[in-house]
Amino acid sequence: MGDFEQDFYQTGYYIDDQGSGVAYYDADAAQDTLPNNLDPFMEERYSGEIYQPTMNSTDFSSTASESPGEEPPLLVELGIDFDHMWQKTLTVLNPLKPADGSIMNETDLTGPILFCIALGVTLMMAGKVHFGYVYGISAIACIGMYILLSLMSSLAVSYGCVASVLGYCLLPMVALSAFAVVYSLQGILGTVLALLTICWCSFSASKIFISTLAMQEQQLLVFYPCALLYGLFTLLTVF
Amino acid sequence: MSVNKLKYFFAVDTRYVLKKLMILMFPYTHQDWEVRYHRDTPLTPRQDVNAPDLYIPTMAFITYILLAGMALGIQKRFSPEVLGLCASTALVWIIIEVLVMLLSLYLLTVHSDLSTFDLIAYSGYKYVGMIFTVLSGLLFGNDGYYVALVWSSCALMFFIVRSLKMKILPSISSDSMGMGSNAKPQLRLYITVATAVFQPIIIYWLTSHLVR
Repeated sequence: MGDFEQDFYQTGYYIDDQGSGVAYYDADAAQDTLPNNLDPFMEERYSGEIYQPTMNSTDFSSTASESPGEEPPLLVELGIDFDHMWQKTLTVLNPLKPADGSIMNETDLTGPILFCIALGVTLMMAGKVHFGYVYGISAIACIGMYILLSLMSSLAVSYGCVASVLGYCLLPMVALSAFAVVYSLQGILGTVLALLTICWCSFSASKIFISTLAMQEQQLLVFYPCALLYGLFTLLTVF
Repeated sequence: MSVNKLKYFFAVDTRYVLKKLMILMFPYTHQDWEVRYHRDTPLTPRQDVNAPDLYIPTMAFITYILLAGMALGIQKRFSPEVLGLCASTALVWIIIEVLVMLLSLYLLTVHSDLSTFDLIAYSGYKYVGMIFTVLSGLLFGNDGYYVALVWSSCALMFFIVRSLKMKILPSISSDSMGMGSNAKPQLRLYITVATAVFQPIIIYWLTSHLVR
């Protein structure tokens, strides 16, 4: 069959096609010609990818426009964007406003880590040095929530997204533990405040989760594990 | 132990969870206990309220640990290490119960389609009763604790017997082997009843120290 086709093409009827035709149909010669034929394309493609980051990144453009001795600002290099963080914090602080699913597209862990440290500091001011427990519980809770959400949702979940959402919604808990420094939480008022804070945190977290993962009829089901998690933090704060 | 099989147990929605919790607390009015199938595969919990799921047992287990922490905190015995102790104790009891069930089903050559996850689900449902018991013990004192203990034990025993009866007992008729290799129906009944009776004992064991 191959010889037959070779004979057909070697008659020279379609000279233009034969140049590429030989590459496709002639198995023996194709091994020599294919790389040559496709190499320029591949080179172009690779060179396109090689050149792309340097043309689009702000670092090089800023060094191209400014003097070569200056460095980009530290925050830009670290990827910390205060404006974005403030947007996310506002979304958390207002639980009644519906969230759009795109705010969690860039997962940053700076805000959450800041809030965890703030929680540890306020706990320390109340006399309980529990830094290790705060970090340990956060890590285990993030892993657990990630496993649960990936089992329950039909869309793929990323670990950074889960950690980021849970960390941002920790903000009301920081406020609660700051309040616990001046007024002990073991009475009725303390219990009511603690329950309110848990509901606030969990409602914000579940709102962001179901808008990002499209789990509309499962909001209560996502709300409950978040409530358990923040309840665990409340136990640390109250007792 | 594939992830897809595990995903089946978590395909739940809010309506299913609320109905299942109602059945766990008050199973006496539920009529149809048959697990429905769709061309040989069982329906997901979203579509069939009798299907076992793992969301409720997992959440109930974690809630129980938190409640234990809270109860100990009220009694001024709280520290984060005690939480870990409670958690590992409860986990060990679940593992023991599932292993005993698996072993007895295997030794008595009972052919049922109960997988390991099903057994974990059914033995995890008792945590719902435990939470109810501990809550009423905390709110209403010792009397409330005993009343809730009796109520949730009866409800749970009824639920377990009705659910497992469907799964363990009818497999006699589907077996093609002779009668000698089948376990006697009484043995299967004994297993079901023993599982049911085991529940109140465990509930009492794991909750009494929290309410005293």
